[in-house]
Amino acid sequence: MSTATPATPAPGPVDEKRASFEREALVHLDSLYRVALRLTGNAADADDLVQETMLKAYRAWDQYEKGTNAKGWLLTILRNAFINEYRRRTRHPETVDLDTIEPYSVFSDVQDDDPQGTFFDRIVDDEVLRAIDQLPEQFRETVVLSDVEGLSYEEIARIIDVPVGTVKSRLFRARRLLQRKLYDYAVGMGYIKANPA
Amino acid sequence: MNCRECAEHLYEFLDKELTPEVEREIRAHLEDCPPCGEHFDFQRLFLDFLQARCRARGAPPDLKRRILRELFDE
Repeated sequence: MSTATPATPAPGPVDEKRASFEREALVHLDSLYRVALRLTGNAADADDLVQETMLKAYRAWDQYEKGTNAKGWLLTILRNAFINEYRRRTRHPETVDLDTIEPYSVFSDVQDDDPQGTFFDRIVDDEVLRAIDQLPEQFRETVVLSDVEGLSYEEIARIIDVPVGTVKSRLFRARRLLQRKLYDYAVGMGYIKANPA
Repeated sequence: MNCRECAEHLYEFLDKELTPEVEREIRAHLEDCPPCGEHFDFQRLFLDFLQARCRARGAPPDLKRRILRELFDE
């Protein structure tokens, strides 16, 4: 009988599951946290929401088709958890009629004085995040998924379960509304002169 | 393509969501029409600004530790 040194044990299924979860899911932690923070509006709930999302995702990891869109899959879990468990206590459902929001471009106000929008550069991070937080929820989540996390219209449509056309129109309105808020803020701070027109 | 049609595709253009054909038509219009070009540039700068301001921060370091502990009992 040979006395070869015992080989390192082959990785068991649990180790493999953990390795693939760390590789494909945990790498999206920053994205999940940013989205959670904007949805819940506070750090403690965002922490809990992300933790719960990761726990649910790990339990369902066998159902996730490896190598596909893990970020989209995780964000879908996160959003569903938010709607089912957090929305009621963190923020109130919207009462505004989104279709009545008339988006007009700030560009028409600034094209003579500041067509490059340099006044934006003077607005600090916290003010931008505050403006996003003031958007109606449906606009807020669309802007965050698109402009902060860089997802495609198709991916966003899948996550929030609406047609691509709805994503487009929400994004259009949300961006215009956000621009308007930040412009008004910049005028208030004296970063740019108000358009007299 | 006229200015109104071009403006309708503004964000799809900036988000790279258009077919190559429509994208080409828009590029051609923007080259011929400075006012539309300026408006598109302004919107592009705004989106870049938004992303730069919002992506700076990630998850707090101890959140990852909490999750690893919870999942793998570390």
